[in-house]
Amino acid sequence: MTDRSTFDGMMSRLQAGDRLSADEIRDLAATPDILSLGMLADTLRRRLHDRRVTYVRVAQYSVDHTWTDAIPPGATEVRITGVPGSLPLAVAAVEQARAAVGTRVVSGYSWTALAALANGGTPMSRVLGELRGAGLDAVAEVPMDSVGNLDTAVDALKAAGFDQIRLTIDKAPAADRVALLIRAGALQDRVGCIRAINPLPMLLSSVRPTTGYDDVKMVAIARLAAPHIDTVQVDWLRYGPKLAQVALTFGADDLDGVTASDAAPDGHRRAPLEEVKRNIEAAGFVAAERDGRFVVVSS
Amino acid sequence: MVEQIARAVSGGARISAEDALRLYRDAPTHLLGRLADGIRARKHPEGIVSYIIDRNVNYTNVCTARCNFCAFYRTVGSPDGYVLGFEEIFAKIDETIAVGGNQMLLQGGHNPDLPIQWYEDLFRAIKQRYPDFKLHALSPPEVLHISRLNNVPVPAVIARLVAAGLDSIPGGGAEMLVDRVRKLLNCYGKASSDEWLGVMREAHRAGLRTTATMMYGTVETDEERIEHMLRLRDLQDETGGFTAFITWSYQPEHTERAGIEATGIDYLRTLALARIVLDNVDNLQASWVTQGGKVGQLSLAFGANDMGSVMIEENVVRAAGASYCMDEVEIVANIEDAGFTAKRRNMHYEVLGDPIFREREVPRMLSLATARADGDASVPEELRNYPARSRQGKQLRLAQ
Ligand code: SF4
Repeated sequence: MTDRSTFDGMMSRLQAGDRLSADEIRDLAATPDILSLGMLADTLRRRLHDRRVTYVRVAQYSVDHTWTDAIPPGATEVRITGVPGSLPLAVAAVEQARAAVGTRVVSGYSWTALAALANGGTPMSRVLGELRGAGLDAVAEVPMDSVGNLDTAVDALKAAGFDQIRLTIDKAPAADRVALLIRAGALQDRVGCIRAINPLPMLLSSVRPTTGYDDVKMVAIARLAAPHIDTVQVDWLRYGPKLAQVALTFGADDLDGVTASDAAPDGHRRAPLEEVKRNIEAAGFVAAERDGRFVVVSS
Repeated sequence: MVEQIARAVSGGARISAEDALRLYRDAPTHLLGRLADGIRARKHPEGIVSYIIDRNVNYTNVCTARCNFCAFYRTVGSPDGYVLGFEEIFAKIDETIAVGGNQMLLQGGHNPDLPIQWYEDLFRAIKQRYPDFKLHALSPPEVLHISRLNNVPVPAVIARLVAAGLDSIPGGGAEMLVDRVRKLLNCYGKASSDEWLGVMREAHRAGLRTTATMMYGTVETDEERIEHMLRLRDLQDETGGFTAFITWSYQPEHTERAGIEATGIDYLRTLALARIVLDNVDNLQASWVTQGGKVGQLSLAFGANDMGSVMIEENVVRAAGASYCMDEVEIVANIEDAGFTAKRRNMHYEVLGDPIFREREVPRMLSLATARADGDASVPEELRNYPARSRQGKQLRLAQ
């Protein structure tokens, strides 16, 4: 943040419903003053969601799962993970998941895994169409740093009927992510079907982990750069209670990836649901559970 | 009201208990952070964030105090109880020096079988071998324990330990300096609030510098957290002997008290509040050992100006479930990533220099050492020279 008057100016514009320019976002991303950045993002977050923080309980299964055991009743979304070996296998997993969970949301796969299927000569529209036909509600990850042409990918998803797109980041370093987030903001203005953005890397590096400053900054930048994307998420499992909770005060309004099973593994920490609610409330927010379609189911 | 208090704090005014409570309860988290950050910037305008390379050694885990929040101690006679031998401690010092360390933080349980001579001999032996190496040792409850066990008044204990080589006293064992809380945590017996502060007063009078700590998140009220800070502030007004304040959340795992850990936001708010209340303490450490590297780093925006210790060894917090590790390379990366300049310091918070790994090659440490290898139940040779008090201790000596 350059100085106090610039900050005050931005703050009143955000309060008035205005948005910040791409240049301003880039300047903000360069500041070590994360508190001012956090205040701006929090102001916008509160304008959009007031004190509400949503969370979703997700049961994740690998693509080769056999679907014989019961799906935890608490899960409002079933997510298929991993890379399917072929389109028929990908479709079969969706069909089995759909049969197992009834009307609950079935999401799955990363765009990159599907693009690999399309590489064999099958057009992407067919890959998406078949999965949609088999009952897939959403492509779980659309990693902005790995999709190649983001506009084309989002258009293809939209054309196939996926109207709640979730943008993610695989592993782009912080410096590159700012441009991606600005781009996501502009893209949403055009397509309007991006439901959520998850600005923290899905692939964690143990050699060079992201820092706390990096993480909260990216969450805040996502909120400010894409004010028309309703939901800014943090992954509860990947990022852990402490960082996820702090991120809520830097612009995030949704905790993705809460474990659906309520059993506390080996007495470690607490049952996930209780822990999620406690963290949301201790940060001064009101917790509301949502389903995989972003509809609040209980609060 | 909050705005008024915030203005006063920004203007450099001292905060009252009442206003501190209002800020803690009602101020938005970012505002608390900003106020704390303003004070940090006033006290440390050069933008330096320091850290120390030292080793946290626990000479014994045998303890008669039995604080119910502690997962580290073992009872007298327990098969897992240990006392480190002098040679083991020397080896740890050698390793510490190898990675650029200049100090050992030495603390342990209240072991009835270690008379004051054991501590004196250990300190002398260390100083003889490593004359420049610093001993930041024995928190106030340990000093009290030695005083009671040996029937030597606290000032005399301090004088004898200083004569043997003690350089400074760590602020451990403060927990919450409110006797209602101490009784509930079963740590009133090891030291009441007045006794803890009394040892620090004596230490400061004897010319030692010390740190101060606070463990929150057990049974205390918000008011009691503030009372703790104010008691430290009062003593600091009187003696000026505290170099730094360190706060951390109670780590419940494997403790008798059990329960849940306070959240990350609570940590940042408590830290910021401490920065605001303790206007006469120069340094605030980030507790990344309990909060993890990420919230540890974020502490630098909430009033902390020190990343504490590049831990080489840690036993107490790990016993209670948290096991975060950062070596010098990572600590420095976190400091610089937050926009600060990283400097190595000593216990007096004097800058010693730039990161050691930029001066010479040091081994990376990707995991923390422990007091002893698992299953090592050896009894050090020299223990036979010190009379034991407990029955189990006497039997052990006889068997030697
Ligand atoms: S905290 Fe210290 S005094 Fe209390 S039981 Fe543990 S080792 Fe003993």
